Amino acid sequence: MSLSRRALLAGAAVLTLPLPIFAQPRRYGLQPIEVADGIWMIEGRREVFTRENGGDIVNVALLATDQGALVVDSGSTAAMGAEIRAFADQRLGGLVATINTHHHPDHWFGNAPLADRPVLALAATSATCREYAQDYAETLYAILGSWISGTRTMPATGEVEAGPRAIGGRTLRMIPLAGHTAADLAILDEATGVLVAGDLVFLDRAPSLPDADFATWLAALDRLEGLGPAGVVPGHGRFHRAGEGIAQTRAYLRATRDRLAMAADLGLTPIEAMAAGPVPEFAGLGANPEEYLRSVVRRFGDHETLALPVVGGA
Amino acid sequence: MALLTDRLPGAASPPLLTGRTGPAAVGGDAFDSGMWPSHRQEFLGDPAAWRNDPAVTVLAPPAAEDSSHVPFLIDATAVAQPIRRIVVTIDYSPFPKAIVFRPGRALPLLGFGVKYEVGGALRASAETGAETGAGEWLVGAAYVSALGGGCSAPAAAHHRPDWQQGFGELRARLWPETGRLRLRLRHPQDTGLADGIPAHHLTELALLDAAGAEIAALELHEPLEENPALTFLLPPDLARGPVAIRARDNLGYAFAGRVEGAP
Repeated sequence: MSLSRRALLAGAAVLTLPLPIFAQPRRYGLQPIEVADGIWMIEGRREVFTRENGGDIVNVALLATDQGALVVDSGSTAAMGAEIRAFADQRLGGLVATINTHHHPDHWFGNAPLADRPVLALAATSATCREYAQDYAETLYAILGSWISGTRTMPATGEVEAGPRAIGGRTLRMIPLAGHTAADLAILDEATGVLVAGDLVFLDRAPSLPDADFATWLAALDRLEGLGPAGVVPGHGRFHRAGEGIAQTRAYLRATRDRLAMAADLGLTPIEAMAAGPVPEFAGLGANPEEYLRSVVRRFGDHETLALPVVGGA
Repeated sequence: MALLTDRLPGAASPPLLTGRTGPAAVGGDAFDSGMWPSHRQEFLGDPAAWRNDPAVTVLAPPAAEDSSHVPFLIDATAVAQPIRRIVVTIDYSPFPKAIVFRPGRALPLLGFGVKYEVGGALRASAETGAETGAGEWLVGAAYVSALGGGCSAPAAAHHRPDWQQGFGELRARLWPETGRLRLRLRHPQDTGLADGIPAHHLTELALLDAAGAEIAALELHEPLEENPALTFLLPPDLARGPVAIRARDNLGYAFAGRVEGAP
């Protein structure tokens, strides 16, 4: 008896010692800000994935409704999703549903802690999420380390369709577009005129082009501009009221497309195109030059197909 | 300077990618460590005379965005002596020997892409001297961090039902003013490591002049990327063209094309 009591006491003493830092649950300390009436935004760092930022690189929107928060994009890890969920539960009366704007993992790897309520996406997005879940998980576990512990990949199971949709007294217009990826959803809140643009709009953070189609993306930006939004929650970068995000994203796409096309037409190797760096005007954007280097690897071949004529075959 | 980086307006200065020597070229360990002693023995014939030399520049991005397509550029045009061949090896790969480049009458510059199975250095070993055994080996390297899988994953072509369509298509262009020749060949470059997909990859590629005489030749192995793109640098007389391109793969397919230079 006394032995087990001593053991218990010893155990209690051990618990008072400081735990090594790696054993503590990682906390992001996400800070939602109300950017318009009932529209909250968590702004991610303007960086690429690193072990230091733990994947806190993406914007998340929470739209307050009568039935709780509608979360748009769930972050890069289960821990991010859990912090988003906690805010919805504590401040916005719970969670009504989650929407993933597209298939890149920073926009849906936080789904699991939200998945007891509907998780929705364009059908093409859910399919691509399922296809790449394993690849993304391996990549992110390698980069993010313990930040991503416990993250299960849970692609959306419900479908978003084009057009108006009323959720908890809030009317939203679902706008399926493409260009950043093959399926990009933008959401316009009718009451405030705020556009939740997903990764079709970046501001002061270099756009990510691995799955991009320049022409389609530029056309999508024209569509978004035509909506005349009163404010924009971009996928990455700060909330803004004027059209600066759409304008900057458009300028970046055109300039980067032209730079890659010129490099291919001059006969440069992708290495030389990389070494030259981004268009100088955009070299200082967050996540550059990393995003520019990725763009060369992923997009140079498109331009080379145009620059190199067919001269033979098997 | 053989590189064209400055051709782009507002090119970064210094360039974002620069050559490195010593431990920085191979990821932090001593240059002569890891698989290198073994590869030197197996693929270079265990030469007594070799050294890491800054005249053999190997450029690569610090991290692989896509393990199936990791771009490299080898520039040995700063080497004073003639170069017989450049042996390209990858420190940690199921197929360490990637390319043997015999520049011949071309300049010793080669752009290419490879598959990476795991992070590590790619080394370019240039054998100098006009005769075998007469010279020494000058070695450059670049380290790339990669998450891997590039060699063991099926080629992207196999995800499409029509993967054979366009097989062997050869695109190329010659720029007489800079001496550049760039080509791209549609080929799955299967390593044989993906389940149920036999090895099917290029084994050789050569450039020939108007008279049919060889300009330069490549011996190619499994790590070369799918739909490989290659860059050569030709001296002004050959860069006027025309240049014929000939290639073969391990299943006996032959590929041929021809680029014209200045009109």
